[in-house]
Amino acid sequence: MSIIKNWYRTVYHKLFHLDDRLLLIIAGSIAGVCSGLAAVALRLSLESVLEWLHGFRHYGWAFIIPAIGALLSSLYLEKIAREGAGHGVPEVIYSVSRYGGLLRFRSSYSRLIASFLTIGSGGSAGPEAPVVMSGSAIGSNLAKFLGLNDRQRITLVGCGTAGAIASIFNAPIAGLVFSIEVILGEWKFVNIIPIAIAAVAGAQVSQAIIPEQVIFNHQAFLVSASDILPSLCLAVVTAMISVVFTKVLRRMGKIARKSSLPLWGRAIIGGCTVGIIGMGMPVVLGEGYHFIQSMISGTFSMSIFVIFVAVFAKIFATAMTLGWGGSGGIFAPCLLIGSLTGVVFHKALFGLFPEIGCASEGAYALLGMTGLISGVMQAPLTGIFLIVEITGGYETILPLIVVSSISSTMSHYIEPASFYFKELIERGQFLRPGTDARILSDLNIRELIDTGFVKVSENMVFREFIEIIKMSDQNFYPVIEDGTDEYKGVIQISAIRKYALDPGMYDMIFLSQIMDTKMMTASLENDLQEVLDMMDINNMDSISVVENDRFIGMILKTRILDLYRRELIMQTSVQ
Amino acid sequence: MNYKLLHVFRNTPFGRETFLQSLYFCKTINAFPVVYIPKSDKFLMYFSNDAVQVDLDHSYLTSPATAKKHAKELFNEIGVKPMFYEPKNFTASSLPDISTNFDYLCCPRSVSDLSSKIGLGHIGPKVRRVIKYAIFPILITSPVFKPWKSISVFFGGSKNAVNALKLGLKIAMASGLPLDIYTALEKHKKSYYQELIKKEGLSEPVNQLSRQWYFYKQSDFDAMLYDVPHNSLIVLGAYGHGIIRDLLLGSKMEQIQSTVTNNLLITGPYCTISL
Repeated sequence: MSIIKNWYRTVYHKLFHLDDRLLLIIAGSIAGVCSGLAAVALRLSLESVLEWLHGFRHYGWAFIIPAIGALLSSLYLEKIAREGAGHGVPEVIYSVSRYGGLLRFRSSYSRLIASFLTIGSGGSAGPEAPVVMSGSAIGSNLAKFLGLNDRQRITLVGCGTAGAIASIFNAPIAGLVFSIEVILGEWKFVNIIPIAIAAVAGAQVSQAIIPEQVIFNHQAFLVSASDILPSLCLAVVTAMISVVFTKVLRRMGKIARKSSLPLWGRAIIGGCTVGIIGMGMPVVLGEGYHFIQSMISGTFSMSIFVIFVAVFAKIFATAMTLGWGGSGGIFAPCLLIGSLTGVVFHKALFGLFPEIGCASEGAYALLGMTGLISGVMQAPLTGIFLIVEITGGYETILPLIVVSSISSTMSHYIEPASFYFKELIERGQFLRPGTDARILSDLNIRELIDTGFVKVSENMVFREFIEIIKMSDQNFYPVIEDGTDEYKGVIQISAIRKYALDPGMYDMIFLSQIMDTKMMTASLENDLQEVLDMMDINNMDSISVVENDRFIGMILKTRILDLYRRELIMQTSVQ
Repeated sequence: MNYKLLHVFRNTPFGRETFLQSLYFCKTINAFPVVYIPKSDKFLMYFSNDAVQVDLDHSYLTSPATAKKHAKELFNEIGVKPMFYEPKNFTASSLPDISTNFDYLCCPRSVSDLSSKIGLGHIGPKVRRVIKYAIFPILITSPVFKPWKSISVFFGGSKNAVNALKLGLKIAMASGLPLDIYTALEKHKKSYYQELIKKEGLSEPVNQLSRQWYFYKQSDFDAMLYDVPHNSLIVLGAYGHGIIRDLLLGSKMEQIQSTVTNNLLITGPYCTISL
């Protein structure tokens, strides 16, 4: 036993005395491999179950299959895993911005199982968000196991995310960019290398285990200058579709929450609806990778009208799945809706201008995918790099940038918050590093309180008070009740000048008569933002903190500024 | 002193016993009880090193309409100002984040298992995790309301035991109740423990506040437990070291919690107590 203990101590000591970056690289690659494995496991299991259920899809009762999957998924999440609902990505962003990336261990597997049940049965959702949740939780719990600090933990959360995305799409750069652009929100040198290595590790895991099952095969496209103008038009269309998709998703969620049905009941309704739509339009079922691949390779053989209807059917089916109790993400639906939009646009373009010398249908499917990702997630770089990696070359980079930038800008103009951020912004919990809100949320109100204030009794006569003033440089004096120490009010030096200049009043006035009892007070329960708002509204430079009727201390604006600067320097420094 | 104790209210007769215990504890040490009436069957506590999800058993959601009224009645009965906690942040819509800015937390032996399972020797997995990561002491109540008239600290010489001793002294100072220290001599002699508290600068408060320091042979550990007054608050450290720390809170702690019926005040490995 003692040998094991000594060995454990030696390894622990050596590991923790490594260079910080080296430690993060090692831990990050472990997180990347683990999240890559999680992504591969989900993909393989989804493929198996979708293939198995495919044989039953032609039966009349097949519409209940997605309902059964959604029912099992909701019951699993609610009764067994006991996770709060949600598709995961906002939860990861929330945890990164508020709690140093702390995530529950159960999140590393619960969403995988729930989304397997939802998507495997035909629910319209993507496996990426659950895999991101899983990878992030793996990174977070690895950091906990290694006893790392908040900054290191956040990096490992990013590593888990990058590994998961890289593995599922075999696209390491897209994994890196998604992790930094969407999850962490800051490009820091110390983050980039471990996350890049984790992304590569995740992609390698996928290639090693399922080399023949790359989601989208690399393909070259001939794109010329004549594609620029159509790309501009496509960008506008994808921006509109992005806004519609975001609004429908949120609206459906709200409608479902208003209903008095239990989660499992809602999941059945959502699943049945998707199943019914899927009977007539199988493109809406599942994650839809197979259809995307056929659109990229130009073998998708539906008419323009059917594809146009399919765009909206997919939007509705995804909203019914995710809003009504199913589990999964919006990444794959974005790709499918985007590629359908691109194909419709290409067909319409060639219908109107048969002689136009544009790129192939597959290229426009890719451009549509970029437009949707950039519009819905408002993450233009993720959209560009994902498609560049999928195509395996930079031939399409110019139209990609055009579509991505215009789509994200337009959708941002119409809908300022992306789907991932909207809910957090509404709750006031979207706290990106280096922003005011984040810095203020990181400051603890307890460390701002100046407790060294002399308190005075309400029964003190003014003459005694004058003696106290002489020996102190305070501008505020909290007044308390004798015996109980209960806070009664405050005396501000500037407000008692008239009494101080009249010595005849010194023995006639008690402090209870001149104290300010209406001055606003803060409590330890208040956030710093709330305290600052109170001070701003009432034009105060300092505020008393009172808890359970006891005076705790005062918060001064100068102290807030000092600590704000310290925190800002810490958050924006290289290390 | 402006200490606050968080109590998760259960609107059942069993919950009333637990709450009475919280109120008694607060009244005795002049702390303020803050009641959280859960609206969902789970909540999250973000400690510095872990996010602990506390899954509550369904009895915590019994008769929500009367919960606040019942809690207020009990507050008034003891003569304490009612204070309720409302979560401000939510990880998910049905998953509130409960603040960890409290000085004590009151728990029955289990919060996620059915109360019929609660008995000696059983401390639920969620309560164990909270003890492990909490930065404040946890009050584990006896199944029925049991006022305590003295404080018994189990002092085994470890870092957590020193914390427990400090906590015991703090409680004794605040309550004015007598403090007894119990030590089972393991590898060391009596003088070792006395030297240890001298090093920690606790000799003076121990001399001033403790009524008696009892030393027992290791083999008499069970006898020591029997000698502890049945109506005392037991203060002890949950060791939580080593590879099996997730499973066990420390062998002595497990033995104590499965033997005595007293109220237990436990300090975990991340709990720092200053006098």
